[in-house]
This record gives sequence, C-alpha cells and structure tokens, in this order.
Amino acid sequence: MARVRRQDPRSDEALVEVCNEGDAREAAEAFEALYRRHTDYVLRVALRFVPDTDTALDVLQETFAYLLRRFPPTGEGLELTAKLTTLLYPVAKNNAITALRKAGRWEPSGDVLPDDLPAPEPADSDDLQKVLGALPQGQREVLQLRFVDDLPLNEISEVLGIPLGTVKSRLHLGVARLKSSDFAKSLRGD
Amino acid sequence: MPDESANNEELPAALVDALKAGDRTPPTITAGIDRAVTAMARSHFRDRQPSWRRRGSWAALAASVGLIAVVASQVGGPLLRDRADPYGDVDGSGRIDIADVFALARSEQATVTQADLDAFAMRVVSIKAGATR
Repeated sequence: MARVRRQDPRSDEALVEVCNEGDAREAAEAFEALYRRHTDYVLRVALRFVPDTDTALDVLQETFAYLLRRFPPTGEGLELTAKLTTLLYPVAKNNAITALRKAGRWEPSGDVLPDDLPAPEPADSDDLQKVLGALPQGQREVLQLRFVDDLPLNEISEVLGIPLGTVKSRLHLGVARLKSSDFAKSLRGD
Repeated sequence: MPDESANNEELPAALVDALKAGDRTPPTITAGIDRAVTAMARSHFRDRQPSWRRRGSWAALAASVGLIAVVASQVGGPLLRDRADPYGDVDGSGRIDIADVFALARSEQATVTQADLDAFAMRVVSIKAGATR
C-alpha cells in the first residue's frame, strides 16, 4: 500500500458502510482507506502515552486490528454515530496503556485525583513538555483534546467516557496551571 | 439558552501553537506495516460475496469454514508445527496471531512479499477459526 496513494474521497461513514456490507475487494479497499486516513491520528494519540515509536507502531496495529474485528464476519458491524476518531481515541489509548502495563511502565495518576481541587502550583519549568508532564494525566489529556485536536467539550466527554462537568473542571484546572507556568510567562516576555 | 458544551476556557494563541507544535510527530510508516494491514484486511474480508449472493448462503458458509477448520487442525497443524517455519510464532508470544503477521512485516527480511503476508494472514484466521469452533 503506497503512502502516496490518492486520498479516498468517500466519507468515513461511507467507508464504514462498505466495510459492513461490501464484497471482499470493496471492503478491504474501504478498510485500507480508513487506515490511511487515520494512521497519523492514531500514532499521535499513541505517542501521548508511550515513550517510543516502536511501541506506538504496536499500538497502531492493535488499534486497526480491533477496528477490523468489529466488522463481519467477526463483529456485528459499525454504525457511526460520531466521528470515527471518537472511537479510535479510546481504543488507541487503552492499547497504549496495555503496552505500558506489559512493560511495567504504567503509572496511573490524573484520573484518580479529585478534579475540584484548586490548581496546584505551576511546574517550575520553561519547557512545555515538562509543564505538561507535571500535570495530572486527566488534565493533560483534556488540554490536548481541546486545543490540539480541536474537539468540542461534548465530544471530549464522549471520547473519555466522563461527564461534561468533569471535562470542564479538568480543562479549567489545566488551563490555569498552563497559564501560570514559567513557560507561559516566557512566551509573554514576563 | 447557553450551550452546555461550549468551551469557556481559552488559551493565548501562542500557547495553543506551542501545544500543537509539541504534539509528537508520528514516525514514518514502513511499507511492511502497510502491507501487513492490507493482508489483514484481505484475509478478514476474503469470504465476502456480493450482497445478492450472500443472502441465503450462511449455512453453506458455516459448513465451509467448519470443514476448513477441521482439515487445518488435522492436516496443517502438526506438519506446520514440526518444522522451522518463518511464518509461525514470529514474535515469540507463544501463540500465532495477527501480531505475528505484523512482526514479520516489520522484520528486516526484504524477501517478505505481499503474497507471503496474505498467505500468513489467511493461515492465522484459519487457526483462529479452528480454535473457536
């Protein structure tokens, strides 16, 4: 499958429908089109959780293997009620966490912390990655989904499987912490 | 009425740009991985027929799959296990599954072709069918 191949003009919904109902050739081509379209997104999500590209590539493969199993004959088929990325995000995240657990490198953090605590002191760093790394995982994730992936809050709620209020509180805390970091101050020239 | 899902938290544009720039660039996907996904999709959908032919053919399909599974378990299994097979438990996980197809595709073996991967992926599906029926 050449990476230079032209993008399939069909929508995700149309491609999923062909994967559900099409014949062997049509379904395989439709699945490959979905894979090509969303490969970079799945890899970017994976790299937010795993430290190395080899593991991210494993996550990519597991994620698309999962998606494939959702289609007949092994699955019931898919009906997209939201963007395909809304399905792919939690699958990629779970696969990444599974890979980290297998390697003994998974440390749950943000999701077990209360969300209504006041924002803690900003990380003393002018390096954005260190500032993000110091945030609870739940806050970091919401920040990335909102400002990097440009998802509206209701979709973030759906993707993460958490109430809208929790999304808002995590976003509020994350934004406050980011704005008060040394990194933000250096951007402002303070 | 206010939109409950509206975002009322904003970041300065420079911070948003920095967040976007900081999102790690995906690695280049090798042709081997692309080939593995292609093989996986082809083997998954290989028994699909046009919808007008699929109707009413479930019994025949089930019988065919069962027969293939029985033949594979009686004939293919022991013979394949007894020899050094490059298309077996490639990743050393103790089981043969689609991860082995990917492992083979990602290996440095320049001799692995799309046909090899297709055949391996189909075998993996046959083994799984035999194991679950």
